Amino acid sequence: MLNTSKYPCGQTRREFVWRMGHGVAGLAMADLLFRDGFFRTSALAADSDETLNPLAPKPPQIMPRAKACIFLTMNGAPSQVDTFDYKPELEKYAGQPLPADRKYINSGGRKVGYLTPAWRKFRPGGESGLLISDYFPNVREHADKLCVLNSCHTDSHAHGSALVAMNTGKTLIGRPSLGSWAVYGLGTENENLPGYVVILDKRGGPISGQPNWGGGFMPATFSGTLFRPVGDPILDLRGPGHMTPQAQREQLDLLARLNERHLDERPGGRELAARMNSYELAYRMQSATPEAVDLSGETQATLDMYGVGRQPTDEFGRNCLIARRLVERGVRFIQLYSGGGHLEETWDAHAGIESNHGQHGAEVDQPIAALLTDLERRSLLDDTLVIWGGEFGRMPFSEGKDAPGRNHNPYGFTMWLAGAGVKGGMRYGKTDEFGFEAVENKIHLHDLHATILHIMGLDHELLTYFHQGREESLTDVGGEVIHDILG
Amino acid sequence: MKRILWSVLFSVGIAVHLGLVPVSAAADDGEAFFERMVRPILVEHCYQCHSGVNSEGGLLLDSHAGWRKGGETGASIVPGRPDDSLLIKAVRYNDDGLKMPPEEAGGRLTDEQIAALEQWVRIGAPDPRDTATKLGGMSVADAKTWWAFQPLPMADPEPSSAKIDQIIDRKLADVSITPTEPADKRTLLRRATYDLTGLPPTPAEVDAFLADRSPDAFAKVIDRLLDSPQYGIHWGRHWLDVVRYADTAGENTDRPLPHAWRYRNWVFESFNGDRPFDEFVRLQLAGDLIRSNSSDQDRNEGLIATGYLAIARRYGHDIDKQAYLMHEDVIDNLGKNLLGLTTGCSRCHDHKYDPITMEDYYALYGIFESTRFAFPGCEPKGQPRDLVPLLSPAQIDARMKPWEEQVARAKAEQEKLEQAAKRLLELRADSLQHIIPKTMVGEGARVPIKIVNVKLRKGEVLQLTVFPNGSHGADTTRIEWKIQEVGDDGRSWSVEDLIPVISRGNPLDVGDEARWCFLESTAGPAFLTQRLDSLPEHASLKAWKRSGDALSIFVNTDDQPVNVWTSLPAKAFFVHPEHNRPVAVALVSPIDGLANVSGAVTDVHPSGGDGVSFELAHIASPDYGEGLVELGGNSSSADIDPGPKPKIPVAYAVVDAKPINARFQRRGDPEQLGDEIPRRWLSVFGGEEIATSEESGRRELADWIAENPLTARVIVNRLWQWHFGRGLVATPNNFGSRGELPSHPELLEWLAAEFVANGYRMKKMHRLIMRTAAYQRSSRMMLPSIETDPDNRFLGRFSRRRLRAEEIRDSLLVFAGQLDPTPAEAHPFPDESTWTFTQHDPFNAVYETNKRSAFLMVQRQRRHPFLALFDGADPNASTPARQTSTVPTQALYFLNDPFFHAQAAALADRLAEFEDVDERLEQAYRLIFQRSPTEGERATGANFLRQYPAEAAEKWRAFARVLLASNECVHVD
Repeated sequence: MLNTSKYPCGQTRREFVWRMGHGVAGLAMADLLFRDGFFRTSALAADSDETLNPLAPKPPQIMPRAKACIFLTMNGAPSQVDTFDYKPELEKYAGQPLPADRKYINSGGRKVGYLTPAWRKFRPGGESGLLISDYFPNVREHADKLCVLNSCHTDSHAHGSALVAMNTGKTLIGRPSLGSWAVYGLGTENENLPGYVVILDKRGGPISGQPNWGGGFMPATFSGTLFRPVGDPILDLRGPGHMTPQAQREQLDLLARLNERHLDERPGGRELAARMNSYELAYRMQSATPEAVDLSGETQATLDMYGVGRQPTDEFGRNCLIARRLVERGVRFIQLYSGGGHLEETWDAHAGIESNHGQHGAEVDQPIAALLTDLERRSLLDDTLVIWGGEFGRMPFSEGKDAPGRNHNPYGFTMWLAGAGVKGGMRYGKTDEFGFEAVENKIHLHDLHATILHIMGLDHELLTYFHQGREESLTDVGGEVIHDILG
Repeated sequence: MKRILWSVLFSVGIAVHLGLVPVSAAADDGEAFFERMVRPILVEHCYQCHSGVNSEGGLLLDSHAGWRKGGETGASIVPGRPDDSLLIKAVRYNDDGLKMPPEEAGGRLTDEQIAALEQWVRIGAPDPRDTATKLGGMSVADAKTWWAFQPLPMADPEPSSAKIDQIIDRKLADVSITPTEPADKRTLLRRATYDLTGLPPTPAEVDAFLADRSPDAFAKVIDRLLDSPQYGIHWGRHWLDVVRYADTAGENTDRPLPHAWRYRNWVFESFNGDRPFDEFVRLQLAGDLIRSNSSDQDRNEGLIATGYLAIARRYGHDIDKQAYLMHEDVIDNLGKNLLGLTTGCSRCHDHKYDPITMEDYYALYGIFESTRFAFPGCEPKGQPRDLVPLLSPAQIDARMKPWEEQVARAKAEQEKLEQAAKRLLELRADSLQHIIPKTMVGEGARVPIKIVNVKLRKGEVLQLTVFPNGSHGADTTRIEWKIQEVGDDGRSWSVEDLIPVISRGNPLDVGDEARWCFLESTAGPAFLTQRLDSLPEHASLKAWKRSGDALSIFVNTDDQPVNVWTSLPAKAFFVHPEHNRPVAVALVSPIDGLANVSGAVTDVHPSGGDGVSFELAHIASPDYGEGLVELGGNSSSADIDPGPKPKIPVAYAVVDAKPINARFQRRGDPEQLGDEIPRRWLSVFGGEEIATSEESGRRELADWIAENPLTARVIVNRLWQWHFGRGLVATPNNFGSRGELPSHPELLEWLAAEFVANGYRMKKMHRLIMRTAAYQRSSRMMLPSIETDPDNRFLGRFSRRRLRAEEIRDSLLVFAGQLDPTPAEAHPFPDESTWTFTQHDPFNAVYETNKRSAFLMVQRQRRHPFLALFDGADPNASTPARQTSTVPTQALYFLNDPFFHAQAAALADRLAEFEDVDERLEQAYRLIFQRSPTEGERATGANFLRQYPAEAAEKWRAFARVLLASNECVHVD
């Protein structure tokens, strides 16, 4: 785990669980063993033991500020100058081109238009008076909780690769995602639920798909589990309708007996015990997961606050509420996508900022504000990190004369953090006068990732995974923690 | 300057190749001693932690200065005084606080090695490593002594499995591990059968093996399994793991590779045919060149083999712009896969640990830049190109010519018909009278026709045309249409009369002087030329249509209604217009006089919402009818369907392009080009340049790689790993200085030498390995070896393993009696001409099949859900060894997945063929576990079947699911 192993493959010596004679008889043997602390003691005795349950909670590397993280991913890239990065100069220079000395890749070879001021008005929020636009009037009420990072920049101007980079640190697919690193480093607090949950927009997934929540070269254990937006949240969570819980329990009991007998003849077969254990986890997951996403126990006031049952907030409101429920139940990393599928179904506002952000902002503003209120009210915000942002930002200029949309901009964009002791009511970093590129306290993806891991109690330089001859890490050779924003 | 350096390295490389240790003649005895006795120990046992950028405890042992300075605990060597030297203390292993090398890095050195180090210190620690000439991450001198680069020993004149056991047993004795007893025969058969074929043994095979008490019973089993075609599929799949085989390209749209399967199957066939491994390697790198002058079949095989290179991953939006990443993928894979070297590391900088430079990288790069890779297409450059035809130009001509001629003829005939139709149109324009102008037939409505005393001349035409309306949804239209001659003995004609004889022709002459024509009338009249004498599944329906279109005219000949998309009344005549495509029935009048016209038009498929329309026209020109009939005659005789363009079989392969040297890319950035780098072999192996200027250099590269002893070491290590679950070198893709050292160096060398000596034949190696006692041991874990050797490095037992993803799925299909063991070929991808994949809408599919799982379609950007769940190979990077994760979502699969349930149900059906419970239990256990149930298991099973709350068949399905989900089913001892 930590980069202290002398073994190139990161393998440390495994403590061996030795079962003399007959094992503990019973239906859910592994479960009993767990409750007896049998495995756990042995696991603790070992210097590192991930054979039996790779998701068991692990001590953080450094003092953690957050136990859990909710990443609100605005898929398609919201415009910073229309939301959280106020640029009065754009009003002054409206209708003029971006000065010629500013170099950029014109993504997709689209028309290049003229500097265009924010499509909605910015107003101060909270005591801090942070300026936030009318696309997020409800979030603005929480201005004092937000740490707005105005100087983010990234490595790609194409949605697919930029989102992969936002999630995995690199533009090329095949690396573990942020959530995978978190679960790999910290385990999960609730083994009846996956440690890393991803909920997509009903309109579809992000265009680069699964690699955004995959475990890359790590074992499947650390991949994000997709909670499907319709139907059962997890694939194969439910069997055929005719199979009653009682019938399934009988099958599992028989299975436990067969496996028990098999294990008795194979003392020391910890991988066998682990697999027995996984059936009991799966069995519990079948009830724990639907329970976690079942909102029927929430009060009407809570549902109303999140905008559940009303349009256009119903879907994202539900997802935010589920996210809170998952945090309460010990899930480590939750990622919610706003926007899915194509173009205007995402935040990809080529056709028009007002039409696009008007729609998507209205879908998420109230739910996000409700999530912040709710987390705070339940004293969860202190150890939950909330992240908001897209894969990049948008250009301060239009896509042609009087054209209402904006093109992609990886050079400067805004994300914000809240909770987990992050300083609220502040801005960090700056873009130039047009909001075109980050110029002060620039935050590269790697810096952002290093900071997020740090807040969760992980050191991005020590959190490594040995793969094909190399200690791999999320931030690779770069990345610095932004200490100035930590309270 | 650079050139001088190269020539130095070149000569050094040659020396290494020949196994010489080029010690300078001027070196004194001390330095000779260092080179001979000391340097190899340091390189092999110390450098991993104490060289280059790694300095555990602050100590470097890769230079004179390094040890003189020492580490955190002070100078490590005091020349002349071994007892005062920390290094000597550490290697003596007497001091509990300081033992080097540590256990996990190989443990205590041999007594001879320790003595050598002591002697070296005693004579003053002479060390010539003051100015190390670096080659990448290693000094030239160190690279010379690196174990994996040494020549192989002489092969054993009498190789036997016993020799292997001798080496293993000696090591076991060294570490005081008592090996386990031999596995029982059932376990051994299950192990060997899964090992060689990836499938479970059948009950009959178990019986036969148990009954065979001859001493060579197991040897016979091995031979039988090696002869099975399933062997090549399973072992070929191992190879596909390493070469990161996939059926899609991996760029932003993840385009399908419809021809990659030929390479996949060639790999399987190569294993089945026991192709010598050196040839296997050569063909994959340069089959197109090596086989260019061979027979058609051999030439094609050579082309298909280069699919190994062609399946390199593609990157980004416009993959031509990111070709440098594809080249990196190629260089990275061939390094790891064939040489066990991480060559890809040298794209942006010299290798940090191994003797590979950036120049080396771009020397190889030039070889691949001189190669034309098949192009899979990408979003801005739609369709594939540069696929390599598997036919000669003459053969292609022979297939294409007749088709092209047909196309030309069809075109000429078509033009003639269009001319004729144009003349008819002019004629019609002058003589058209609407008897009934265009009239709406509402949704599901019936509009009657009744017109009296139409004046006709012989040869004139009455035409009933049905039009679609806006929604073009309600298209099936019944027409009843009768023409009655006015007069006492007036004749009559009706479409109803045509129903039994409709197939006779178009124009249709039923021998009553009238001629009927079935037309499409979008522009001019066009005859429906394709006749369907019956429709699939509906024999009573007969139709006329144009090729490529839907049915236009059809009849129900049955005296019962037929249910298709709508209910078609008995004995009825239908017209079926489509969007923008009216359809007409025309009668060429036999009458000179008056006629009454009656009938009806009915929308019989109410669905689109706006019905249809029709009109009844009279074309009052006798010439028109004759012209129409003549056009019809020509249409049917001229109905040349050239058919689809003949498919020319192609391979997803590479061929040579114009040979060029690549230019150095500073920091791996293709925008920052530096000097031209000649194409050549890695400098550590001699750096030989490409001799010919006409070729890419792949031919030479293939030879260099195939003949390198490293290649033999790497593949025998893989063979060992695929048999035992762990390689002798536990990092099978890395034999460099960051890889693990071999657990049994002598054995690895012995095996590699034997492999080369036996002509690179895999099957001989399988026999040699599987006949060892080490292979046949029980997997029982025993104290204390379980604590001293938890990973079973020393092979005191056989390592139990979970089945691989493919084995799980194939086994389920076998137990269910559903497996189709024959090889699959192409995947059912959509036709290339239809591809419109984009970044926003990439290719994505899962194709079900009952073939072996090695034939599942493997996508790069979206993992196959089953393979991903059970740790299948990564299709984006070489997978040297499968991981085995255990997660609850896998358990959910065994609880709830529909495919799993279906296989369990099919197994239950198989069991149901046996009468009593006892016999069914017996069969189930024998099938899945290759043994009979114990008394206890019979009782447990019977009890479950009694109690389980479901009807009888479901009880057995539930029982089957439990057996299939059990640990015993998915593990091999």
